[in-house]
Amino acid sequence: MVMRNIHKNILLDFGIPDADLFEAPDGKQALQIATSSSIDLFLVDWNMPELSGIDFVKAVRAMDCYKETPIIMVTSEAAKYNVLEAIEVGVTNYIVKPIKADMLKEKLGKYIIWGGKR
Amino acid sequence: MKAQYINPFLVASMNLFRNYLGVECTSGVPYLNQDPQNLDEVTGIIGLAGETVGAVVLSFGRETATSIASKMAGKKYHNLSNEVVDIVGELVNIVAGNAKKDLLEFRINISLPGVLIGGGSKIKWPTGVPVITIPFESELGRFSVNVSLKV
Repeated sequence: MVMRNIHKNILLDFGIPDADLFEAPDGKQALQIATSSSIDLFLVDWNMPELSGIDFVKAVRAMDCYKETPIIMVTSEAAKYNVLEAIEVGVTNYIVKPIKADMLKEKLGKYIIWGGKR
Repeated sequence: MKAQYINPFLVASMNLFRNYLGVECTSGVPYLNQDPQNLDEVTGIIGLAGETVGAVVLSFGRETATSIASKMAGKKYHNLSNEVVDIVGELVNIVAGNAKKDLLEFRINISLPGVLIGGGSKIKWPTGVPVITIPFESELGRFSVNVSLKV
């Protein structure tokens, strides 16, 4: 909840309107949002209730509309085998927590420009 | 338990509290905890599974947990709110997840974090596996990182 808020504030700083941001407390609800909306960028944790980040990414990548959509995994899972598994299933960028807000912002800047457009 | 299995948790904790949160802290000598149910009031717990079994438990007093959570969130908490509890879970998640990268011998899966408040609930430590406690002294109070890992 708190980490989601921190990430949300960073995205708001990019100028993305609040109404364009979707958040979910678990992987299952995130997948429902992905299915019912058109998402430009995913920020996903590995360890989520109901559906893990890895299974979420697999499900999203299986949808034609999200083959190329950036998926950024922000997670504490720092083992090399975790990073490799994430890349294998289609994660675009992998960020290990803890990470300072400004560093996360810099990394997200590769995929978002100020004003909220890619 | 050999130091090679404890050091990754020590390093991950130092990296989180001292380097990331900027909390001045020092670690004491790790010891075999003979009474691992008797920890401080606020405990963040992660189970370890996969090629081994174990658990990681961060333990704080109420005030220390609240102060550290305030550091983490960048805003002042005055009591043990849901947000503070959430952050305690995040702290143990980060320590366990970061320690994995130096535990090269095993492929480990970590559980979702759980947080216990008060002494009413028991921690489910793995049976027959010793618990090593790493004590920390910090400017925000003392806390401990407790590790049980079957090796």
